[in-house]
Amino acid sequence: MKPDYAMARADIIHGILAFRIWTRLGWQEVKRRYRRTVFGPFWATLSIAMFIGGMVFIWAPLFKADVSSYLPWLSAGLVVWSFATTMITEGCGTYTAAVGLITQLNFPYTVLNFMVVWRNIIVFLHNVLIVVVVVIALHVPVSWETLLLIPGMMIVAVNGVWMTVLFGMASARFRDIPPLVGNLIQVLMFVTPIFWLATQLGGESQPIVRYNFMYHLVQVMRAPMLGTAPSQLTYAITLAGAVIGWLVTFDIYARFRRRIAFWL
Amino acid sequence: MAIFAEDVTIDYPIYGGSHRSLRQTLFARTGGLIRQERTGRQQRTIVRALDRVSFTLQNGDRLGLIGHNGAGKSTLLKVLAGVYQPDSGAMRIEGRVSPLFNSAPGLDPDDNGYENITTCGMFLGMSRQEIKRKLPDIIAFCELGEYLDLPVRTYSNGMVARLAFAIATSIDPDILLLDEGLGGGDAAFAERAEARMKALLQRTRILVLASHSDALIKTMCNRAMLLEKGKLIAIGPVDEILNRYHHRLAHAQVA
Repeated sequence: MKPDYAMARADIIHGILAFRIWTRLGWQEVKRRYRRTVFGPFWATLSIAMFIGGMVFIWAPLFKADVSSYLPWLSAGLVVWSFATTMITEGCGTYTAAVGLITQLNFPYTVLNFMVVWRNIIVFLHNVLIVVVVVIALHVPVSWETLLLIPGMMIVAVNGVWMTVLFGMASARFRDIPPLVGNLIQVLMFVTPIFWLATQLGGESQPIVRYNFMYHLVQVMRAPMLGTAPSQLTYAITLAGAVIGWLVTFDIYARFRRRIAFWL
Repeated sequence: MAIFAEDVTIDYPIYGGSHRSLRQTLFARTGGLIRQERTGRQQRTIVRALDRVSFTLQNGDRLGLIGHNGAGKSTLLKVLAGVYQPDSGAMRIEGRVSPLFNSAPGLDPDDNGYENITTCGMFLGMSRQEIKRKLPDIIAFCELGEYLDLPVRTYSNGMVARLAFAIATSIDPDILLLDEGLGGGDAAFAERAEARMKALLQRTRILVLASHSDALIKTMCNRAMLLEKGKLIAIGPVDEILNRYHHRLAHAQVA
């Protein structure tokens, strides 16, 4: 199909400019999901916290790690992992969940992608409380490097947007994609150093760590939370991922955006 | 405000349609032309929903779309709304298009009335200020009072219809697209709804309405277009086109 780059560019620009809509929709969705509950959005936080609390006593000895160093690693890793992967799995449903809108109205579809990412940033800001508690309780050093969390989050979010566009389109066309992505993410969770320490397998020189995009995506936010700076390799890979991911997605979006309404 | 359609063609690719059901539809009288297309090893089914449709609409035109189920009326509305882009040909539209197919886009049953007014208003293309300005009018018209503080899922069907109608008819469209009339509510409400609809039409420069109701087309339109299997058969004065439509219908039944 012939690409229409002007249309794709206009969609993205108008999507960004419609921030009043997607910030509102993101908030509404968070509010909606947890209405009539006592803990609200903190349920997600609580479930991660309970998981960490239960598992740390099994895994710390299993990986022969000291709880005071393993606990911050595990909690920061899991919180970021859940941020990145929820964005991807929810991204698969970006367009299919919006049938009503897409088949009735002409609007920049990227509004929906920004909404998904924004909503997940809000949820992350709840979950990050776990890490704050752990950091304070265990006296994890807080340094200037901690501030790198902010650019780190922006890098993950920028990657998140192209992923939700790409996976959202693929899922609208091929309905096998969402379960496939769900399965892959589960496998990746064990392959990626979240539960185990990267240093145990030789750190970033080990191919399974070095070439694991998900590891770097987690690390760009996890390292600052533990008071250290991510490696140059991590920045190189996550930024390259953002650029290449966007270039590829932009081209595919320019080709197939007009088909999305038919796929639904 | 104007609409220029030139040889607009829309092909619907069908995904996940079974071949058995296709054989049945191949011999159907209604709907667009269905064809099979081979690209490499893949066989695709494509329905030509609109076939080289050309027309022009100017300020003051109120066009009624007439035709069988599947003649292409809704597809044409969706092209005008910008939901579908033509595969070939061109559609040029000057003015702000307001499609009211589903009268309240983005309506969420878990949100309360006020929240829904804002969300739907935004999707209908209103700015925050515009919504704020129209809020008293919407509240007054839907007569839902304190219910607006409750989640929409607690409303009766009639109440949801009232709210949706009040929001949808508060817009200021250049070009208004309607798929059948907007309705809802009880008899007393219907009367007020009619008056409000009239006011909306007065603010509208161009109307395109798809309907199976002769009466609705006659009251709301000053021009009509007959579509059949995705082709434009005729466009002209309402009575003439309706006559032609019924004549063709009778003819087809005899044959």
